[in-house]
Amino acid sequence: MTESAPRRAKLELLVRRDDDDRSFELREIGSAAAWVKMRPQRVAAEHFELAEVTSRVDRQRSFILKNRQTERFLMLSEPECFLWDRMDGRASVQDIATAYVLRYGTFDFDLIPGLIKKLQRAQLLTLTPASRLRYALSRHRERRLLRAAETAFTALERINVSSRRVQPFFHRLYRWGGLLLFTPGAIVACLLFAAVGTVAGVHLWREADVVAGFGANPVLAILSVKLLFFLTLAAHQLVHGLALIHYGRRVREFGFTFLHGFVPTFYVDITDIFMASRRARVVTAVSGTLVHLVFGAVWFMVALRASSGGFVQAFAAASGMLQWQAFVVALYPFCFVEMDGYHMLVDALGVPTLKHDAIAYVKSLFGGLPAMSGSRRQVGLWIGYIVLSVVSVAAFIAFNIWVIVHAVTT
Amino acid sequence: MAAAGETAAFLKSVKLFREFSDAELLAFAARLKERVFKKGQVLFREGDAGEEMFVVREGTTIISKLVSGRVEQVLARATGGDFFGEMTLFDRSPRSATIQAETDVTLLVLDRDNLNLLIEVNPRAAAAFFHSLVYVFIERLRASGELVAEITRWGLEATGLDMESR
Repeated sequence: MTESAPRRAKLELLVRRDDDDRSFELREIGSAAAWVKMRPQRVAAEHFELAEVTSRVDRQRSFILKNRQTERFLMLSEPECFLWDRMDGRASVQDIATAYVLRYGTFDFDLIPGLIKKLQRAQLLTLTPASRLRYALSRHRERRLLRAAETAFTALERINVSSRRVQPFFHRLYRWGGLLLFTPGAIVACLLFAAVGTVAGVHLWREADVVAGFGANPVLAILSVKLLFFLTLAAHQLVHGLALIHYGRRVREFGFTFLHGFVPTFYVDITDIFMASRRARVVTAVSGTLVHLVFGAVWFMVALRASSGGFVQAFAAASGMLQWQAFVVALYPFCFVEMDGYHMLVDALGVPTLKHDAIAYVKSLFGGLPAMSGSRRQVGLWIGYIVLSVVSVAAFIAFNIWVIVHAVTT
Repeated sequence: MAAAGETAAFLKSVKLFREFSDAELLAFAARLKERVFKKGQVLFREGDAGEEMFVVREGTTIISKLVSGRVEQVLARATGGDFFGEMTLFDRSPRSATIQAETDVTLLVLDRDNLNLLIEVNPRAAAAFFHSLVYVFIERLRASGELVAEITRWGLEATGLDMESR
């Protein structure tokens, strides 16, 4: 007689839409769906120790993980150690599983649940908030202001306008013209936009007094530039979604939320593209960022044609600059931010944990932690990533300061 | 509007009135008002004041409790022969849950005055009514316990907490 697996618990929720009483949706949420969204958080770095041991027989690497508080030890295999490294409270179980597949090419469905159980038993996982800011706030709840800030962040974080039934919408969008974005003509158009935008930008730089246009309300002007830029992020995500349709994959979710409770952002779930070819992944990543190239070029052209020193010119020039910076930042992999360019780089290198490993390596060098070992190639990659990122971020900040100083003084 | 005879025939199938005689049912049915709600209509909200209890004659209603913002947990559904809203009738406290029509529903309404009248005029029928009510309360208490256990299990599964090994 076979024993059937226990039924997973379900919650039935009634979610009201807008302020209309009659409009509601009934959702059954299985505990498994919630579990994959969980963000396992390992204990603080000072509370554990990790040592590598290599078998003299088969040269297999394994790791010993020690809980310094409870003096409990765990033996981890190399794949388990990879998973442990990613349990930083920011990556969900789903993200960790994706990283695992990218690294090892296969997936064992019992591995992550098994490891989480093992780590919980050894009290090496916590359920503290993932965001460091939120963590800091939660530690000072006795202060009214900080408690209010934490409550506000929690409330904002709950705002999530999203839909999982977006596949038909993206299909329609693709049929109604989205498919044109994935033709040779679109590439030519992008090149033309880049060329024309560059020419317009250079003209503006040399001739126009764009800062004067912000006039008496520079703060309001900058905020409106930012707001408009934020709306174009939705277009960026839409194009990512269209790329998935182009490659016959499924768009699992599209929505808006507040990341960590205070960063408003649109998002699209493109995890299904990992089942497609590398070319598909690259096109998906690049196509979204090209939105900023095109918008930036259009703004520069508008600025060039607007009356010199007027608000429209200043607004358009600032928007163009912001769009092109977004284009570069999104595609440039060395900036400590895991954006499209970073994902392409790690995909090409076959090292999905590059940033994480590089930071951990540098911390182990300067933070008095046990030295992290790696092959010469790995260490070269880690150092290269850190050096290039530090230089790039410094250059980006310096460039922006220079742009502002130049704009104000000329 | 259904005639008292039809209502009495329906009440015969309702657990709450199973110990009523035909004559008692007929007399009682005449005191009940019928009310119709369209699909999606909210009958009352958690926290509202109330003076009436309802017996579902036709259709389905959702009984839910606010969790946060616009999200409510579905506690149960009331279909033909089920009743709800009686708690307010006895303890005069605000409504403990929200009731919304999942389909078009027809309800029979019993208000406090008519309940008091039943107690005064026909104590035997009132005693039978309360006796059946206790049985239904016991069933609901058991169902609540099951629901608490289910929600706890959901929480443990969703967080991956392994309590057995601790």
